[in-house]
Amino acid sequence: MAQVRLGNIVKHYGDSIAVDDVSLTVEDGEFVALVGPSGCGKTTTLNLVAGLLELTGGTIHIGDRQVNELDPKDRDIAMVFQNYALYPNKTVYANLAFPLQMRKTAKADIDRKVRAAAASLDITHLLQRRPRELSGGQQQRVALGRALVRDPKVFLMDEPLSNLDAKLRVQMRAELKRFHQDLKATIIYVTHDQLEAVTMADRMAVMNHGVLQQYDTPEVVFNAPLNLFVAGFVGSPAMNLFPAEVADGGASLLGPEGWRLTLSERNAARARRATGGVILGARHSMIGLHGEPATDRIPGRVYTVEPTGDITFVHVRIAAANVIASVGPDIRLRADDAVWLSFDQNKLHLFDVASGQALRD
Amino acid sequence: MKEHGFWRLGGKLYLAALVVFTMLPMVWMVITSLKTQFAALQYPPEWIPRNPTLDQYWLLLSPANAVGREFLRYLFNSVWVSAASTVLGVAVAVPAAYAFSRFRFPGRNLLFYSVLLRNMFPAVVFLMPLFIMMRWLGLVNTQASLILTYLTFGLPLSIWLLKGFYDNIPVQLEQAARIDGASRFQAFLLIVMPLSAPGITATAIYSFIMAWNEYVYALTFLNDKDRLTLPVGLQRFFTEYATNWPGLMAASFIMSVPVVALFLVLQKYFVRALTDGAVKS
Amino acid sequence: MTARSDGLLRRIVRHRADYLYVAPALGVMLLVIGYPIYDTVYLSFFNTPPNLALEDKIFAGLDNYGRILSADSFHEATWNTLVWTVFSTFFAFVLGFGAALALNREFRGRGLLRGILLIPYVISAVAASYVWRWLYHSDFGVIGAISVALGFTDTPINFLDNTTVVMPALIVVNVWKEFPFAMIMMLAGLQTVPDHLLRAARVDGAGTWESFVHITLPHLKGVTLVTVLLLLVTNLNSFTIPYIMTGGGPAGASEIWITHIYQLAFGRIRFGLASAYSVILFIVMMGLGYFYVRALTQGDERRGG
Repeated sequence: MAQVRLGNIVKHYGDSIAVDDVSLTVEDGEFVALVGPSGCGKTTTLNLVAGLLELTGGTIHIGDRQVNELDPKDRDIAMVFQNYALYPNKTVYANLAFPLQMRKTAKADIDRKVRAAAASLDITHLLQRRPRELSGGQQQRVALGRALVRDPKVFLMDEPLSNLDAKLRVQMRAELKRFHQDLKATIIYVTHDQLEAVTMADRMAVMNHGVLQQYDTPEVVFNAPLNLFVAGFVGSPAMNLFPAEVADGGASLLGPEGWRLTLSERNAARARRATGGVILGARHSMIGLHGEPATDRIPGRVYTVEPTGDITFVHVRIAAANVIASVGPDIRLRADDAVWLSFDQNKLHLFDVASGQALRD
Repeated sequence: MKEHGFWRLGGKLYLAALVVFTMLPMVWMVITSLKTQFAALQYPPEWIPRNPTLDQYWLLLSPANAVGREFLRYLFNSVWVSAASTVLGVAVAVPAAYAFSRFRFPGRNLLFYSVLLRNMFPAVVFLMPLFIMMRWLGLVNTQASLILTYLTFGLPLSIWLLKGFYDNIPVQLEQAARIDGASRFQAFLLIVMPLSAPGITATAIYSFIMAWNEYVYALTFLNDKDRLTLPVGLQRFFTEYATNWPGLMAASFIMSVPVVALFLVLQKYFVRALTDGAVKS
Repeated sequence: MTARSDGLLRRIVRHRADYLYVAPALGVMLLVIGYPIYDTVYLSFFNTPPNLALEDKIFAGLDNYGRILSADSFHEATWNTLVWTVFSTFFAFVLGFGAALALNREFRGRGLLRGILLIPYVISAVAASYVWRWLYHSDFGVIGAISVALGFTDTPINFLDNTTVVMPALIVVNVWKEFPFAMIMMLAGLQTVPDHLLRAARVDGAGTWESFVHITLPHLKGVTLVTVLLLLVTNLNSFTIPYIMTGGGPAGASEIWITHIYQLAFGRIRFGLASAYSVILFIVMMGLGYFYVRALTQGDERRGG
């Protein structure tokens, strides 16, 4: 296993910029998720690491070696593709053996390693089948087996779970995480699903428009998003964001709907750094719902209620803005009930409207 | 529902009429080929031959007589010319089609469009210069001249059809192969080639049929009786035995059988090959 | 960092291995396509001697073009070519589209029916021409006999020796040979019409005719364009059927551009004149070709790799 280092990598397609000056280091044995909406450059980044695309600029190191000019076959990597890319005319056995054959491994070794990989993934009984005779989950395992059969320095995974149904996805997610822990493998994992990134990765790199937005542990990314994009992208339901004006020299916020919110010392200091207006961010769990008004409570009206069993999401309208809050399952609210919202000042996020960046201490 | 039935009935009647239109010439060809010369030249015609005979077929296909030897010679020439130009064309077209499908090298579009545009040019535009070229190369009246010139239509067509097949093979398979340790060329050879075998077969057969049916070049480049291909041979036949309609129909029938059989067997591939480019967008 | 950071030359060098794949094909195409085109254009400016001793050719400038464009035979052939191309294309398309519509539904024997209807398309044009010549035969032709039997005429019609009937008669043969092409193209197009749209239309109360007009037809625009263009091109390039069936006769009544060029080149051995004629045709084809490439390559650019 090895460290992977991206230094200011850039990729252009003609006039469009797919990856714009991305630098990050994946430590040896680390599971890193590249996450972002489609077209954000995450798959391009992965393909650059794989050597399937050529860099426009920057450097890529795998271990101590600079691999910019190396062919994929010489980079000692393995990759799992979204559609698995199993060779359709080969049996499962031949699929697993192919990477070893290409590396001129001795026949006996091939057989031993293929069987070992098959056993560890519980696909021994499928070895003589062809890919089209396998279910999605089985194909997924074979693809994984083909990647691990020859003990590469880095595993690259391109949305490997997105073709599975929801139940299988949860199961494979756990298996992949276990796979990483058992092998101490270096894994770069591309996904558009922030939940996968949050649940599996040691660190996640959030990308948008080819630019790296934030690279940190899921916990930090979730609790301290660096900018509006990350705040809106990570977490489900998405963080509530609403614009406000800084009033009273930073002591409070004034909403366009007419509400006023007094800020704590710490938040006031942050708000004073804003160059213009701010955007207030609060996760659903940090919003309290009340039946009667009080100072620093924002009035609203219940739009709709979504019970999910152990938690109930409440959509609240504040004038035209929609806010999602959550309450326990035993609290009964009905559409059009008047409610008042309060915020946990310690978990409040403030962003600068002009730059979109989080306002820090 | 009633309206639905109306359209369906109309469709059925239309198809029935179309089948009659399509089949009539072919049926009459077969019927005539089973008649004697005398029976063929009757008015009103004998709708069903009173004394059906396979004489014409024996005549054409038996090496025991001059006519048969001549006809078999044409048949053999056609097979040879069509097969050779097909093999040559496909061999050259496979790597080119693959490159057009996969690589983005400078000039790709320009080159590919010029390949496509070839389909627009009539054979006659190429006929004179190629004739001059063949004279210069000393190839006039040889089958090599035909094999070479058939590439003028066989090659662009093959490139176009094959590119369609390669476009349908997911590029991830080659990427996987390259990551698994294959070079670009190995990925092509070991992974893509086996998968494109059906496409190559379909393309080869299509180009074989085109060559088999080709007429203008064969008419212009060949005049030595021993070297003619079937279409020109048929015409020669017609001038020589002008009133032997049953013989001519039998010859037409024999000439049509291989292509129609090949076609019907591989209909699925064919239809796909023909329509692939047009309906994709 | 500018967007286009590397020059054309660098890109060519970087992709040099890619060219190896296309090199053989390009070599052959230059030899059998590129050179002939050049030579045709070149020859079109010369008077060539009838013995084809080309070193004796005489530069004639645009004379050949002038002679062609002012000749009566050119005008007649152009008119015939137009009639031939337009009517063949129209009827082949209409017949083929109709068949495609009728076949675009699951029923027993559909595959067989489609196979039968496709046969004319694969049969050799030479064989087809002789078969139709026999059908049209002035004394013993089956079509004439049927016409008499059905009471359309008193005596068999002489289809191919009659200046007014010869063109329609040839167009029938051409349509017979060509409609299957339109049929499979349009059938393939019909199969890409999304079912859910048709179902939605039916739920919305559209009848067969309305959903055809509002859903199916708009969806077929692209295929129709390609099909009609290809038919136009094929028909402009037709040679075998008119050449074998009538040789352009009687009295030039079925002479079209291609047969005329062939006659000039290999009948009267006037390569210069015939080349100029080819160039004119070539220019017309380039116009159609432009639309063809545009229609075909839509959506091709999105694939990358």
